[in-house]
Amino acid sequence: MTYALRKVGLLILTLWAAITLNFFLPRLMPGSPTDAAIAKLSQNGPVTAATRKAIEIQLGVPDGNLLSQYGQYLKQVLTLDFGVSYTFYPQPVADLVGQALPYTLILVGFVTIVAFVLGTLLGVLAAWKRGTWLDALPTLGGSFASAFPYFWTALLLLFFLGYVFKIFPTSGAYGVTNVPGFSGAFIGSALNHAVLPAVTILITSLGGWILGMRNTMISTLGDDYVTFAEANGLKPHTVAIRYAARNAILPNLTSFGLALGGVVGGSVLVETVFGYPGIGYLLLKAVTNQDYPLMQALFLMITVSVLLANFIVDILYGVLDPRTRK
Amino acid sequence: MHTTPRTRTRRAAAALGSLLAAALVLTGCSIDIKSAPDPSLGADTMLIAADNGSPSLQRVFNPYLPNTRVASWYMFEPLVILNDLNGDEEPWLASKTEIPDPQTVVFTIRQGVKWSDGKAFGPDDVKFTFDMLKKFPSLDLKGAWQYMKSVEVKGDTVVVHLKGDDVPAAQIIEQTQIVPEHIWSKVKDPSTFTNPDPVGTGPYNLGNFTPQEYAMDKNPLYWQADKVKVQHLVLPASNTQLDVVTKGYDWAFSFISDVKGTWNAANPSNTYWFPPGGTISLFPNLTEAPFNDLDFRKGLSYALDRKAVGDAAAEGYMQQAGQTGMLLPNQEDLLDPAIPDKGLIAQSDSQAKSSFAKAGYTMKDGKLVDTTGKALTITITTANGYSDWLRAVQAITKQWAAVGITVKVAQPQPAAYQLALRNGDFQLAMGSVGGTGSVYQDFANNLSSEFYTPIGNQAANNFGRYRSAEVDAILNEFTTTTDEQEQKQLGYRLQQIYYDELPSIGLYYGGSWGLFSTQKFTGWPSADDPYTSPKTYVSTALLILTHLKKSEAAK
Repeated sequence: MTYALRKVGLLILTLWAAITLNFFLPRLMPGSPTDAAIAKLSQNGPVTAATRKAIEIQLGVPDGNLLSQYGQYLKQVLTLDFGVSYTFYPQPVADLVGQALPYTLILVGFVTIVAFVLGTLLGVLAAWKRGTWLDALPTLGGSFASAFPYFWTALLLLFFLGYVFKIFPTSGAYGVTNVPGFSGAFIGSALNHAVLPAVTILITSLGGWILGMRNTMISTLGDDYVTFAEANGLKPHTVAIRYAARNAILPNLTSFGLALGGVVGGSVLVETVFGYPGIGYLLLKAVTNQDYPLMQALFLMITVSVLLANFIVDILYGVLDPRTRK
Repeated sequence: MHTTPRTRTRRAAAALGSLLAAALVLTGCSIDIKSAPDPSLGADTMLIAADNGSPSLQRVFNPYLPNTRVASWYMFEPLVILNDLNGDEEPWLASKTEIPDPQTVVFTIRQGVKWSDGKAFGPDDVKFTFDMLKKFPSLDLKGAWQYMKSVEVKGDTVVVHLKGDDVPAAQIIEQTQIVPEHIWSKVKDPSTFTNPDPVGTGPYNLGNFTPQEYAMDKNPLYWQADKVKVQHLVLPASNTQLDVVTKGYDWAFSFISDVKGTWNAANPSNTYWFPPGGTISLFPNLTEAPFNDLDFRKGLSYALDRKAVGDAAAEGYMQQAGQTGMLLPNQEDLLDPAIPDKGLIAQSDSQAKSSFAKAGYTMKDGKLVDTTGKALTITITTANGYSDWLRAVQAITKQWAAVGITVKVAQPQPAAYQLALRNGDFQLAMGSVGGTGSVYQDFANNLSSEFYTPIGNQAANNFGRYRSAEVDAILNEFTTTTDEQEQKQLGYRLQQIYYDELPSIGLYYGGSWGLFSTQKFTGWPSADDPYTSPKTYVSTALLILTHLKKSEAAK
């Protein structure tokens, strides 16, 4: 029990630190939101002093010093009120995040789970049949594919499967004529649009899970209890799954928890290449436009989910492995 | 070396990878991109790459917000369209504009115009709009109320009283987009109003709207309905360059690398026109030595090969700029004929060296050194991510190295770059000058002491911190004269000063990147018929939308 309490205390402390950094970091960037808006407008034509003044009034120069702004920010965080976005003025931040979140959660979340399950299974297989083609193929393929940068794989898939062979749509999360909702046409179109980004993430992340699982599995297979189980005449797959894999999976499980926490952050590069309206793309927009309210909400969401995932893994570890409780 | 299975695997992977990459490069070269109009769009429907909704389109049609959807320009019309290409003024919702004295502007409001919901448009809507902008200054993006004192309706005219003598202010006031009083008067706070169901006077009404694409349908009540031949406009949220080239767009405003090899090659009816939209220039920080020394600036200017700079930046699609501030050829009739060679300054190492010598800089061991023998290093500030500007800076770096100057490049993010400009925290900065369509505005923005602030205090314009009593006097005269010939003469004097004093150093023209397809529609602006700029996002787009005809093939 003290173990759990200690972990909760630590969680609260890290949360506060993260929230505070989240407030000060964006404000350390040179230039103000008005500067960012003007920079964007001036690419389209000359911007007059009057335009700057109007935008300043619109976005509102924050009242008070940094400390009182910080107090106001803490209040906003506690009431989950993130105000109005600068980039998409006058849309509330909550609406924008609400629109983007489902796409990221479903795409990145689903793919992360698939990659973990598939990669772990392939890793077990590779370790158990090491030296055969069942080992060589996933290991070679995995390290080959995960060596590609995300965006490169994305651009290749986009160009060949999207533009040259026109098998999959090239951008967006659903067909332009579909209206989001629970209709067959919309869901079908959304799935079709998710294939390329999903395959990209799968290709680049699968290798890590395979290699991680294979390597721990191999060292576990050398342990005495596995030899003992084999000597006792247990069936090979029982030894592989129930004895070796069960113990070897712990490090991979930790990474999985962290990966799940990171899902909320989306995948900036993949979402940008495919014009996928998820959190990653929104984050990119927020940062390039000095959109403090939007950035704060997004970073907060990301840090909180990573911290929570960490916390859950910590607690699970305490349950799974009694040694960590001390 | 001892080879483990692991390194063997890695090597095999690397070999396989390079093979695959080579194969991709080989096949990649032979892929031809072709484009044809989307068959699901009718012959009377136009696909435009104008709006950029990333990640998805927000339904904002309040024309006074910077984030408004681009199609707001096709629904909310101004009193007069100021043609930024040549400075012409096209009467629009005002059929006539008069300036009886330098403090008064009288707009005669057009008869027979209807709002798209059927209600009549009239002078009261105009007065209401101006009054609303006064009450909510955040909406006054053009700054009309900087110059206005009051506004009143007299019969079918709207009379604007100015704060003082200010003839050029009419060109700012007349560009205000007018909204319907019967709808906006019920809006509690127009500064946060998204106007999801817009009612305007323009040629198009909002059609189907989804977060990824929206359509505009022809307004049957439009006052020039007979001139509008395109029945529907489709504006997708995502318009990547690959989209623009492959998906059969009719109109796009976008710079595409190697236009002839991509856009033109994709379809024989694809054309392009890139008229100048501004002069890309170097702003010297005039408060800092040696940039405050005219001879030194002349040296910098003579050392430049402007054609090479422009070619490096815009792939040879844009011309080098003269030192007059005028955009040629479109502003040719406003150009001072007394200035030699249309203001072009040819590269001359000898003249550069003699100018530098006058400023106290001489060559020593291939480096330009000051009187104490210290070698000169200059920092040019440009915005991160503006790759055309960066290519220009790289060309300048090479050219100035030839006269012994070491150039460093600072590339802050766009917002930080803006901040550096405003604070005067730079030695030389890249920037764009002109292109408002008004000679007065172009020069006032860059030279007027009205915008002068000391270094460290934020300036809104005139980032180089130029100050001259003579220029201020000319600008002041501009505000009081309504005589066109006199305005032209004043423009000549400003050009002469700009040419002689190099308050900023013009390099090359920034382009207005118009891409058009003549497959379905013809009548696009072009070098042969330069009636307006190809922009999709300002009121001049109305000139194009009322000018297009169906092509022979589409009839």
